[in-house]
Amino acid sequence: MQRAVLERVEPVAEGAVSLVLRGDGGPLAAWEPGAHVDLVLPNWLTRQYSLCGDPADRDSYRVTVHHDPLSRGGSEYVHLYLRTGRTLEISLPRNNFPLSPAAEYLFIAGGIGITPIVPMLASAVEAGAVARLVYVGRSTATMPFADELRATYGDRVRIHTTDEHGRPDFAALAATLNPLALVYCCGPASMIDTAEAVFPPSRLRVERFRPAAKQFALNSAFLVDCVRSGRTVEVGAEQSVLDALNHAGFPVPSGCREGVCGSCEIPVVGGEPEHRDDIGAPPGRMYCCVSRALSPRLAVDL
Amino acid sequence: MNSNDVAFKARPRRISHEEVRARIGEPEDLIKSKVHDRIDRHSRRFIAHAPFLAMATSDATGLPDCSPRGDYPGFAKVLDERTLAIPDRPGNQLADSFRNLAENDGIGLMFIVPGVREVLRVNGRAYPTDEPDVLARMRTEGKAAQLAIVVEVAEVFFHCGRALIRSRLWDPASQALAAELPSVGEIAAEQMGLDIDPAVVTRMLEAEYRELY
Ligand SMILES: Cc1cc2nc3c(=O)[nH]c(=O)nc-3n(C[C@H](O)[C@H](O)[C@H](O)COP(=O)(O)O)c2cc1C
Ligand code: FES
Repeated sequence: MQRAVLERVEPVAEGAVSLVLRGDGGPLAAWEPGAHVDLVLPNWLTRQYSLCGDPADRDSYRVTVHHDPLSRGGSEYVHLYLRTGRTLEISLPRNNFPLSPAAEYLFIAGGIGITPIVPMLASAVEAGAVARLVYVGRSTATMPFADELRATYGDRVRIHTTDEHGRPDFAALAATLNPLALVYCCGPASMIDTAEAVFPPSRLRVERFRPAAKQFALNSAFLVDCVRSGRTVEVGAEQSVLDALNHAGFPVPSGCREGVCGSCEIPVVGGEPEHRDDIGAPPGRMYCCVSRALSPRLAVDL
Repeated sequence: MNSNDVAFKARPRRISHEEVRARIGEPEDLIKSKVHDRIDRHSRRFIAHAPFLAMATSDATGLPDCSPRGDYPGFAKVLDERTLAIPDRPGNQLADSFRNLAENDGIGLMFIVPGVREVLRVNGRAYPTDEPDVLARMRTEGKAAQLAIVVEVAEVFFHCGRALIRSRLWDPASQALAAELPSVGEIAAEQMGLDIDPAVVTRMLEAEYRELY
């Protein structure tokens, strides 16, 4: 955890504000494009926000928060109640959406999904790669950074407003895509679903801010063997592995509790996990807030 | 009745409302005028920081019930300046409140923010809902609320801090009072006539308390 003072709140589009957070008594932890932090709000809620400022600036972080009309209390708090001058706890940066080296990139952002893309595009351009951005939103007034991006990158940025032009044609983008290019997409669920349908999986990287709608078989109870401590923890059918481990005294951290942030990652050494997250757990890992077991026992390195 | 309770010769005497007014006078205008018919920005901010409220309802005969509700600050949602929504989570035992509201839609709420001596009072009419857009706003820990109570606000006012000042509610030293009470296990074991070690009952309850959502 780190502490930062909320220095400024800047409106950047209809329904979106940027927060400038200054390190409290020292530099903030380094980060790479694509990273996010957990913000612990004064109403005790923890929410993830992508870092969208300059990674070279170690004195402050910038995040941009969209006021979700169906807010569960996080973005609403930021927009209606958060006051400058307040000290906030923020996590160390975590990156589930890192920029891999490539000669060419296609970035696709929808609405507030622009946040991780802003520093990615800057970094790709700086590295001398061919980089394009298709930025989709209802209207330019609702799209953070639309003007700045156009001013900085000119023709490399295409602003697509759905109020005027309807949905963008991803199939056409896919048809003309350089087979070696990497595609980075962040936006609403419907946009990511479309991208996953048209771009080759090996070329596509996505980040979901909220879990995709999915169906799973009914939950059942199972056992988790914690091999390092020699203890076995029972996970009830209606209980998450995270809760079961926490209750048993294992201090596994958590953030979103819905499989999108990655803070509850634990090492799996035996058994077959049933991955239910939206991040894509690497081999030998699981996100235990949502993922369960296909085998009657799991062995974890705790 | 306990053998050492003061024995009354009769019930304490009842006095008329006129007699009450004669003793304490009419409420001053200042106090009366602070009652609003909508949630202004100060009330909204207060509700957004309140992790606790007391909810009073009553049945068709007027028999009242008051129950505690609590969650993260702002768990009661302000839908607009005349409407609130309060989530119902599993194990809330909200059934009594729902049954009352079906017979009598009057509701009284008292919001409390730890550390603040004034409380916010809201009175109005209420009904249950399963509106998905309302329940979506109440998701916590990845779980949705099952139902919510919609409150149509009639009166909103801040209630002065004397009661909380006199009760030293926010004075950490007041917590010493807890040590003077029997454990929840002792109370439950005796009240339910259970023949088990109260410490076991306490431990069972503690385990249940950890499954909050
Ligand atoms: C990795 C990750 C990054 C996110 N980045 C942002 C962001 O930059 N801006 C934003 O408004 N929401 C972002 N979100 C979504 C928020 O964490 C949160 O879900 C949203 O503000 C709605 O919360 P609420 O329902 O409590 O208002 C991100 C989520 C995840 C998992
Ligand atoms: S807590 Fe966010 S992925 Fe598990």
